Amino acid sequence: MSVSDLAQYVVTGLLVGGVYALMSIGLALIFGVMRVVNFAQGDFMMLGMYLTYFLAVVSGVDPLLGALLTIPPFFLVGVSVHRALLVRVTGGGDPQRLMDAQLILTLGLSLIITNGTTMLLTPMPRGIKTAYATQAFAVGPVLLNEARSYAFLMALVLAGVVYVFLTRTDLGKALRAAADDPEAAGYQGIDVRAMHGLAFGVGIALVAAAGGLLATYHPIEPTVAVNFIVLMFVAVVLGGLGSIPGAFAGGLLIGLVQSLTLLVLPFQLQNVGVFITFLLVLYLRPQGLFGQRLRAV
Amino acid sequence: MRRLLPIGLVVLVGVALTFTLAERYHHRVLTLVLVWATMGLAWNIISGYAGQTSFGHQAFFGIGAYVTVLLVVTTGLTPWIGMAAGLVAAVVAAVLIGLPTFRLAGIYFALATLAYPLIFRIVMEFLGYQEVPIPMIRDRPAAFMQFRDPRAYDLLALAALGGTLLLSHWIEGSRLGYALRALKANEQAAEAAGVDTFRAKMVAYMLSAAPAAVIGAIYAHAILFVVTPDAVFGVLVIVQTLVVCLVGGVGSKWGPLIGSAIMVPMSETLDATVGDQLPGIQGVVYGAALVLVMLFAPEGIYWRLRALRPARRAVEAPRVSAAAPRLDTTVAGRTPVERGAALLEVRGVSQAFLGLQALGDVSFSVRAGEILGVIGPNGAGKTTLFNVLNGFLLPDAGQVRYRDTPIHGLRPSAICRRGIGRTFQVVRTFPQLTVLDNVMVGAFAHETSPPRARERARAAMATVGLGRADDVPGVLTTLDLRLMELARCLASAPDLILLDEPLAGLARDGVETMAALVRRVRDAGVSVVIIEHTMYAVVQLVDRLVVLDHGRRIAEGVPNDVVRDPAVIEAYLGKRWLRHVEGLGTGGLGAAPQTPPRSGRRGEAASPRDPC
Amino acid sequence: MQPHAILLAVLAAAPMLLAPPAADAADDFKIALVAPLSGRWARQGQLKKMGAEMAIAEINAQGGIKALGGARIVLREADAGDSVEKAVSAAQRALSREKISAGIGAWLSSFTLGVTEVAERLEVPWFTLSYADSITERGFKYTFQTSPVSSVQAEQALDLVVDLAKRNQQPLRKAAIVGDNTAATVFFFKPLREKLLKAKGIEIVVDEIWTPPLADATAIVQKIRSTQPDIVFYGATNFPDSIQVLQKVKEFGLKVPIQGVGAWLVTPEYVKTVGRELLDNIMTVTAAHPLKGQEELVKRFTERTGEPFMTQDPLMTYAHVWIIKEAAEMAKSADPKAIRDAVAKLDLKSGPAASTLAPGRIKYDERGRRVGAAPIIVQWQNGEPFTVVPVEYATKKPIWHGAK
Repeated sequence: MSVSDLAQYVVTGLLVGGVYALMSIGLALIFGVMRVVNFAQGDFMMLGMYLTYFLAVVSGVDPLLGALLTIPPFFLVGVSVHRALLVRVTGGGDPQRLMDAQLILTLGLSLIITNGTTMLLTPMPRGIKTAYATQAFAVGPVLLNEARSYAFLMALVLAGVVYVFLTRTDLGKALRAAADDPEAAGYQGIDVRAMHGLAFGVGIALVAAAGGLLATYHPIEPTVAVNFIVLMFVAVVLGGLGSIPGAFAGGLLIGLVQSLTLLVLPFQLQNVGVFITFLLVLYLRPQGLFGQRLRAV
Repeated sequence: MRRLLPIGLVVLVGVALTFTLAERYHHRVLTLVLVWATMGLAWNIISGYAGQTSFGHQAFFGIGAYVTVLLVVTTGLTPWIGMAAGLVAAVVAAVLIGLPTFRLAGIYFALATLAYPLIFRIVMEFLGYQEVPIPMIRDRPAAFMQFRDPRAYDLLALAALGGTLLLSHWIEGSRLGYALRALKANEQAAEAAGVDTFRAKMVAYMLSAAPAAVIGAIYAHAILFVVTPDAVFGVLVIVQTLVVCLVGGVGSKWGPLIGSAIMVPMSETLDATVGDQLPGIQGVVYGAALVLVMLFAPEGIYWRLRALRPARRAVEAPRVSAAAPRLDTTVAGRTPVERGAALLEVRGVSQAFLGLQALGDVSFSVRAGEILGVIGPNGAGKTTLFNVLNGFLLPDAGQVRYRDTPIHGLRPSAICRRGIGRTFQVVRTFPQLTVLDNVMVGAFAHETSPPRARERARAAMATVGLGRADDVPGVLTTLDLRLMELARCLASAPDLILLDEPLAGLARDGVETMAALVRRVRDAGVSVVIIEHTMYAVVQLVDRLVVLDHGRRIAEGVPNDVVRDPAVIEAYLGKRWLRHVEGLGTGGLGAAPQTPPRSGRRGEAASPRDPC
Repeated sequence: MQPHAILLAVLAAAPMLLAPPAADAADDFKIALVAPLSGRWARQGQLKKMGAEMAIAEINAQGGIKALGGARIVLREADAGDSVEKAVSAAQRALSREKISAGIGAWLSSFTLGVTEVAERLEVPWFTLSYADSITERGFKYTFQTSPVSSVQAEQALDLVVDLAKRNQQPLRKAAIVGDNTAATVFFFKPLREKLLKAKGIEIVVDEIWTPPLADATAIVQKIRSTQPDIVFYGATNFPDSIQVLQKVKEFGLKVPIQGVGAWLVTPEYVKTVGRELLDNIMTVTAAHPLKGQEELVKRFTERTGEPFMTQDPLMTYAHVWIIKEAAEMAKSADPKAIRDAVAKLDLKSGPAASTLAPGRIKYDERGRRVGAAPIIVQWQNGEPFTVVPVEYATKKPIWHGAK
């Protein structure tokens, strides 16, 4: 195994991980602020893929731009879904019961979205033909697929924007306050419910954008979510529940682990490497890479 | 026996349905209802009763299915026996998975459990078991769990359901059931009351794996006919389990049954009526139903219906006279310690948290038969000391010896069972249990049978003078809550109890009741270590005092000496007041001041820096 | 709370009012179709349904089943969904709701295994296009497997491919085996890997199997690039996986003959997703594809459904309906047992069913396998898949990759 071969594996893993990372940030934000386990996250991603596809096919919009264009409508969708449904099962009460209720509610939502899409748009897989899906940048002996590279860069940019928003703006700080201590935040005059809606909206918008980026090289069908939902959760946990940079790092780590596992295990067991890493992190450092240290007993 | 009547009723209904349904397909629906109810019940044991939500229970379901079927295919072993092998394999898996995973809490536990079936799925595909059809045995099919008559499968699943209902029922009323409910409500309090939470969780996990494996084997034979990794280890299995339990109601043996009886026929009916014509619509409607149920009854239908029953008004129950049956503090195998001898010795205990030295080289001893007070200003390390003494913390240095054996490093529950009880600064109750049940949790430290534990609990409650056995802690006053916690502590037959601010939040008469009770408890042979701030009460109550400040022991002795100790006065009131007191030459900390201190504050002799 | 409770009650009650079945004449001949119509494989199920519906329309237009007094054929579809449980439930449902004379399905081999168990117990003859050997190794009497089984496909297809290569002066010395671990692929690759390639003196230089979904195809295609095989046996049944591999092949500029195993490689979605240039000259082994002389049939299909071309799934389902019709004519009965006996005795050498399936003969052996069933090699040319081998059925001449 030469250095350039190894470098190829690393680069491939990171590029794949970049999009996982963006998918996961949305989930991390939603969980971090609202403590909601959103089973339907992958299905919103799928809808984002379809919107990007239609923009590409009907208006000739390049999917990289299309991914950005999904952000405003999906933000509104997220806020609406929160207001209509989630607000009744979040914010106060027995956390265990609420988490259970959210699970089933978002599961129901997931079923509605997936099956509704199958009925309305048919199960025929679609794809956006881009030139750069089959072209690569050559950096020395290492090839970087163009589509994945653009997706990676965009993911990085979007994650950066979210990070700046959360840490530098007042609204972002209010959001984090509502996440850390809803009661105290309330006393400070922060409308915690509105913050939840905001978080959900942003979380959905991010995953829809991730879908758009994914659509530059991945076919689009109503059941596409099932391939990614587990990895999303794993990434969020690896990074540390509630940590945005953590989720990003978690996504990258998963991509990397998937790729490097191929060097030690048979290809068929590729995801076993991911799940074993997941277990090791949980056992050795449950707070994840970036999460808060869990309080001692 | 009467309590088993509802279970018997359910079985009867099942049998009646088995013999009245006509269409083959309806029998399949019935079998599915029973299968998923059983799986839900299995999950409920670990996730409902014990509160350890698992997303990976399909691991045991799949193990049961695969082991049974692979044994048929490779060795020709009948599944009736193979199922037992599957059960054993699942229980072993539960131990192996539980050992590392129970150290994690809450959502982390749930997510870790998810990883295992995902791994098993991939491994099964890798091993070449993507599709294992169950060979159709044409002669003596019943010997291989193959029946032409679908009613046989109904009865088989019903038997599994009945067995699991009985198991759940038994758990609910047993010592294990109390332990699980307690640890679910408040794991720390449960440990302090003598519940070995790790062991309880493991036993619950093993008991939950067994029916899952059995029903997995039945599912493979009755429903699937071909076993694939996705069908038995896949996420649809846990989704179905979660749906029936969460819709029906978690933590009750009726919840999964209700959930299954509603959701499975709904799903099948949707498939049968509109699904074939408009594929996909059944998913949309089913999803909508889930959403609506969660909006209407997020705690589950069973609990929602129960909550609709009129609530009982909280009534001030008459206090039971203190002249009641004596509390039995003897425990088999425990020899009484001579009064005055060192019962608990603390030697050089140090504890640091992230650079802050919470305790520094603290040493003192507790003599049998005494009431020892631990006082000190805010942040002195008193509660940290207690946490070390009863096992929540392992000290960085030093030893804690009880009856001359080291106990530092033992689990809190082990320490409790050796004879050290503990109450908390803020009362830690098991909110969903009645007062009597709360106290019984402590009684189980040395009793295994529920009736005997109940007796012990009643005696403890009588000792502290608490009635209200059937109320829930939520309606109790502060005094009653503290009495309850003390009763729970006493029910575990301790030699020594650690009381962390038992007088906090009590009015004057409550303080007196409590103080009198502490004396009574000591007179009955239980040594007491008490952290308190209410100075005047402590000084009158205790035999000796230990004073901590910034994690160090700065004084030890009889109250009279300690309150005049300059180091102590300085610690509480500062150098200025010390000079003032020295100037006055009067009674020091414990006495009412003749002249008000310069700051103009009036009030009791309690320190102006009386902490909250 | 109240409105939700009411809504929930309505929702729960509504489907309970079982919709009465469509009124049909008592002597309609009912065929069940169990296939995935929703979920991950919905597309495949719907293609099957299209084929069935076309055959039924034709037969009814011609006067139905003459031996039964012109009885119309009616299709009873049941959605197999995306799990074995649902598929078997669908079969139970379809077969116990009404008197079904014969059934077809269920596309995915694990579904088919479960569904045929039901059919066997209920004694209803069942037709499948699944390839897995195991389907007809259970001693069943009611299962009829029309496709050549995977082991046979592996052997015969290899002969055809080796022959084709030789005729193009590109003898095969090194082969790559690349694919997922779904049953159909595994059953094809196993004999290939274990004896067939060795017997032909072909060295296996790459042998990589993945579990779907594939995260990234770089590692696999990298291996192909570095070992330079003369042919790649390719089994990526999951559409996104396959797309990723093909895109990566183009990205790396690899020019290697790709020999797919299965009909999944020739669906219209490929053209729309990766474009015709990428697909050119890729070949695959299938159980059926429109043969020479079937242009009329294909035209009817594309006009009727709007699909750009016809592939194995609708084609074989179409054939199955015709086979059932012939059996009914022979049995002069709609009774499933009688139909089954008729099928067992069937030996068709002409007619719509026989002409659809190479080698033009419909006869089932005692295990339920079609006698003489032989695989077809299909090749993408200019954005459309054509039968190229065997030559007598070919609609276009094969173009060997790399041949100048």
